[in-house]
Amino acid sequence: MQGSETKEKKPGRAGKMFRSAMDAALVPLLAIFTALVIGGIIIWMAGGNPIQAYAGLFQGAFGSAKALSETAVWATPYILAGLAVALAFRGGLFNIGAEGQLALGAVAAAWVGYALPGLLGITIPAIIHIPLAIGMGILFGAIWAAIPGALKAYTGAHEVINTIMMNYIALNTVSFLLNGPMKDKDPNNVIARTPEIALTARLPVIFPDLRVNWGFILALFCAWLVWYLLWKTTLGFEIRTVGANPDAAKYAGINVKWLITLTMALSGALAGLAGAIEVVGLNYRHELGFSLGYGFDAIAIALLGKTHPAGVVLAAILFGGMRNGATRMQFLTQIPVDVISVIQALILLFVAADEIIRYIYRIKQKEERLVLTRGWGG
Amino acid sequence: MKKLFSVFALLLIVAMALPACAPAAADCKSEEVLCVGLVTDVGKIDDKSFNQSAWEGVKLAEELGATVQYIETTDAKDYDKNIATFADEGYDVIVTVGFALGEATAAAAAKYPDVDFVGVDQFQAEAIANVAGLNFPEDQAGFLVGALAAMMSETGKIGAVCGTDAVPPVWRFGEGYRAGAAYIDPAVEVNVVYHSDVGFDKTFVDPEWGAATANSMIDKGVDTVFGCGGKTGNGAVTAAAQAGKYGIGVDTDQYLTLPEAAPRMLSSAMKMITPGVYDLIKLSNDGALPSGNYFGKAGYAPFHDLDAEVPAEVKAKMEEINAALVGGSLQTGVPPVKP
Repeated sequence: MQGSETKEKKPGRAGKMFRSAMDAALVPLLAIFTALVIGGIIIWMAGGNPIQAYAGLFQGAFGSAKALSETAVWATPYILAGLAVALAFRGGLFNIGAEGQLALGAVAAAWVGYALPGLLGITIPAIIHIPLAIGMGILFGAIWAAIPGALKAYTGAHEVINTIMMNYIALNTVSFLLNGPMKDKDPNNVIARTPEIALTARLPVIFPDLRVNWGFILALFCAWLVWYLLWKTTLGFEIRTVGANPDAAKYAGINVKWLITLTMALSGALAGLAGAIEVVGLNYRHELGFSLGYGFDAIAIALLGKTHPAGVVLAAILFGGMRNGATRMQFLTQIPVDVISVIQALILLFVAADEIIRYIYRIKQKEERLVLTRGWGG
Repeated sequence: MKKLFSVFALLLIVAMALPACAPAAADCKSEEVLCVGLVTDVGKIDDKSFNQSAWEGVKLAEELGATVQYIETTDAKDYDKNIATFADEGYDVIVTVGFALGEATAAAAAKYPDVDFVGVDQFQAEAIANVAGLNFPEDQAGFLVGALAAMMSETGKIGAVCGTDAVPPVWRFGEGYRAGAAYIDPAVEVNVVYHSDVGFDKTFVDPEWGAATANSMIDKGVDTVFGCGGKTGNGAVTAAAQAGKYGIGVDTDQYLTLPEAAPRMLSSAMKMITPGVYDLIKLSNDGALPSGNYFGKAGYAPFHDLDAEVPAEVKAKMEEINAALVGGSLQTGVPPVKP
């Protein structure tokens, strides 16, 4: 493959960017392809027709305006939570706490949405109410992640352990709130959920009959924002430096402890935003059992997107499309939706242990290995 | 690199052509073809419980020449989408399983007025023209097994371990059990414990609490335990079976679904979901879907392994009570909701 290099014309700048994008995308794309092939084998062994199954999946994910809208709906929290995890990775931190940060963000936004107007006794205009609800979600997510961040920075306690523990605390707290103080007291209701948020707190949909709302656009904007932060600002440079080599960063004069805390806080802010958007743009309330597992899917999405915002967006759309299209796949071919979980797990496996892909397809290791987390002698 | 580009280009073309390979859905939009769809609550179709019983009712509709299909819901935010998948394809009847789908069903009924909806366990506070809420007289089912427990108990003490009484069907099961025992013999001691002290996400999935509660009852002399609340109840019934006492299941014939407790499973308080769903589909097909609440039948499960232990008079009495309840000559006296 490399042999004909000297005979080709020198590529221009656009060509170089394209080449480097293709190089970067190679392993993830092959991981997806291999996972789909193995998924197809599993479907075939279970007695189904893999071509029809994937056709149904594709149709369900992208085959109509409604399908695209639903894929965007699924992709929105995935993009934001994926950015959260990716940003943390860039800073050398493994934020497994996105799940809890997302849940707290959702509950905080819901509270602002349904309780605040009553508390203040006024109708809050949408132009204030929506940003306030979203802002509260961001704040709670940021605080929840800053705690393990500070613990890592100032005591060395590993964020992997702490974020997992914080997940339990957050999810149980949310369960308590939704069964107790924040429960919808409507006499017909027995489910653990908040009341509906006020009309003024709802993010409008983009098109009249479709569910996709402005949260999707906001998520894409956040992807651009994270890219800008990481590669075009001093702060982003410091984050990446701490991620690449904390000792070198310290000797370069960067306040590593503060930066670790800040990186986790920004990561949590994005996860909290994901939860807030789900409440404000889609469900208009928070219910126990909503938004389950997004924080963990986000880890796979961040890795598949190679922790780059553009990759995260594409990976989020892929995962969102798969989750959305699975319904149609089941509807048309009776293949159970669990197959999608298997494929997603295989994708994660191949991306995390990319040696397998490199071995199968004979690809040489070109770029630096991505170090995901430190603190255990690594 | 060139080779890889061409491989990717080929894959892209295949991906574009793929949707054309999707199998064609049945022609449900036409008048003559009866298509019935089922949307589960978050869970699987073979859960040996609600979803499965409802699906079996839908499958019976194949006798009417219907095309049947199901969608398993994996996330609560997909309720509307899953119902819409059927409705947009021209399905004539859509069965939604579980009270969590109540709101989504009502919303869909407004959006698709030509589609008939059957909501299993969805109490209709106000009648919607194209929605039939399939509810069950849980108090009658509880009454039956309460009477059975009172007749079969040797110590004169029976118990029930239930989920939260905030859920009306659960409360009706428990109070029906109490009323049925009192009908046979007011001297029988009945202890009904509701798991109302925990949140909604835990009350039906707390087998350890169920087992501990059952064991403490057994220590006090209870020899028959009615488990009425998902996995919590299952824990209680299993503990009773392990202690050599009688267990009574709920919702479906749990002799088939709880093998650990099967040898001591006296009976189960059953909601006849399968015939209920089938009857409503048939009515819809005849153009006569009853809007509002439709009450299915309650029953009690066969005695299976313990059949020899149940005296003939008890069996006869059970059939007598069942007929009286169904016929209406016997009332349980249990109000619909906890006052």
